[in-house]
Amino acid sequence: MSQTTAATRSGSMESLKHSFLMKYEFILFVLIALIVLFLSITTDGNFWNQGNLSSVLVSVSIVSIAAVGATLVIITSGIDISAGSVLGLTATVVALGGQHGLPLWLIIVSALATGCIAGFINGYLIAVHKVPAIIVTLGTLSIWRSAVFMLLGGSWGTDIPMEFSEWFIMTKLAGVPLIFWLVIVLVLVSGYMMNNRKWGRYIYALGNNEEATVFAGLPTKRLLVFIYVIAGLLVAVSALVSLGQSPIVQSSSGQGFELSVIAAVVIGGASISGGRGSIMGAFLGAILVELVRNAVILLHIQPFWTGVVMGVMIIIAVLVSLSRDKGGAN
Amino acid sequence: MKSFGKSLNQYLALIILIVIVVVGANMLYPGATSIDNIYSMSTFGVEIGLIALGMTLIIMAGGGGIDLSVGAIYALTQIIAAYLMAEGVNMWAAVGIAILSGVFMGFVNGYMVTKLRIPAIIATLATMYVFNGLALLISNGVNIAGMPEEFAIFGQGVMFGNIPFQFIAIYLPALIIIGYLLSRSLFGYQLYLTGTNDASAKLAGINTDRVRLITYMLTGLLCAIAGIIGSSRLLTARPDAGDIMNLQAVTIAVLGGASIFGGRGTVIGTFLSTIVITLLAYICNLININAVMQTGAIGIILIVITLGQNNFGGLKRLKSVFLARKAV
Repeated sequence: MSQTTAATRSGSMESLKHSFLMKYEFILFVLIALIVLFLSITTDGNFWNQGNLSSVLVSVSIVSIAAVGATLVIITSGIDISAGSVLGLTATVVALGGQHGLPLWLIIVSALATGCIAGFINGYLIAVHKVPAIIVTLGTLSIWRSAVFMLLGGSWGTDIPMEFSEWFIMTKLAGVPLIFWLVIVLVLVSGYMMNNRKWGRYIYALGNNEEATVFAGLPTKRLLVFIYVIAGLLVAVSALVSLGQSPIVQSSSGQGFELSVIAAVVIGGASISGGRGSIMGAFLGAILVELVRNAVILLHIQPFWTGVVMGVMIIIAVLVSLSRDKGGAN
Repeated sequence: MKSFGKSLNQYLALIILIVIVVVGANMLYPGATSIDNIYSMSTFGVEIGLIALGMTLIIMAGGGGIDLSVGAIYALTQIIAAYLMAEGVNMWAAVGIAILSGVFMGFVNGYMVTKLRIPAIIATLATMYVFNGLALLISNGVNIAGMPEEFAIFGQGVMFGNIPFQFIAIYLPALIIIGYLLSRSLFGYQLYLTGTNDASAKLAGINTDRVRLITYMLTGLLCAIAGIIGSSRLLTARPDAGDIMNLQAVTIAVLGGASIFGGRGTVIGTFLSTIVITLLAYICNLININAVMQTGAIGIILIVITLGQNNFGGLKRLKSVFLARKAV
């Protein structure tokens, strides 16, 4: 008897939480619409300029792809601050491959493999050796950055295959770069998997109560490693798209990328202490982050403000998400 | 305070590590640890050493405590001091304001972590970007020079012959005061308890939030002092100074025996590991290894040390789980 009431209660809790998320995503949507409206008015239509719009959409795509992986990581109460360095490393691998005249497919495979390996190392240390995610990724952040430096040797990598730009950005469907459509598909499919497929629910379970998932007999460690591998893979994909946008690799390539990604995920409503987060939210968060970045450029605000604004946005988003936690508990 | 024998082992291990590094350094670069080099090493070591002391306190207080914004505080405070001096403010007033603003930045971090319950990683990652952005804004993205001559005392003065002023007059006193705080004062006792077991510390009537808030404020203070020393050493304030100091400070604290799960850490351990990291960095400079590569090496050290710590800890945990099962 008591069991059934508990079950119904948890069911209603679930739907309550769900409606919270829906509401929150709606708020994000409204916020985005307001910023777009504001930019349309204040920039004399510069915002709607084909070049600007396309570049914003591509930037949103780059952040969103990595943010899908970062959402999974953050749902498991982990964090990955090495994403910027992994992006730089992948871009370097592509540049070196191009320099040595490797065939395109081999370049792509090695780029994706780089992401997977970087993700695996993070995941292995975190899941199997229980090293805190922040320590591991703080370490790999600096390790991969110096690897980039070592591989590039201070010069710039410019032998980037033109295909990335041609495929993802020059190809347009209804005037919108192909990559943006692909990202929408990625977001919808992975969002569906997270909500409706077994593995998605396992990931949420892992974030809510790791011990319970162990007792329930789930392959917790393998799942966790898998999540970090996926996150690394997606960062590598982001790297390929970003090379399409600007086909040049420097030793600082990708620096600060992790902040955009984490900002997108957190603004999208994920709880950094795990168990909650939505891929759709992260996508909307990525749009918001890139719109703010674009606004700084279009309105001729000093670029130094970007860091300040992003930091403040993260804090506000976490505060909002924490107050929602309290609301849910009551 | 903790079992003394265990810390002794830790110290011994660190001292052996120092000896190995010294021997290795002299093999790679004869005269690497000459007395002049040691003096100049201590000049560099003071700044990161002060910051690592603060980081040790934060990590020891547990609850996932960490401060990623230390390098940004270091940069922003030196920019504030330099900006004020360039505007004609009296040197001591400028230094005072910079140090107070450092304490305030630490307070902001601590307030967000303890009162607003934002996880330390996110809170300090966000403030890291905010403080860095502010440093760039105030300085317009360029270095600020043109401090008064007297300002050089903090980073270029010497005492007792050739020993750097900041080592004798700032670092050693800070070391002693914080060592005293940890091992002899009520605050130290509360800090260890808070880090070891948050819940039981609360039951014992300890205001754990206040304890943690103080660790962040102390760290802000130490970062600000380090920032003043750093800008005085070069007579230039750089908005991008300290960009890898968070990594270095976390590494030093962890290498010195602070446990990322809280409750463990000593001032002597942090002091010894500061020596290790400073030696390594200095020697890398001597043999022309790039700074970015040093960062990578420090990253590897950080992961390996935590891995080692965890595996010992893991064995113990396994044992306790085993015993608990037996009891059931």
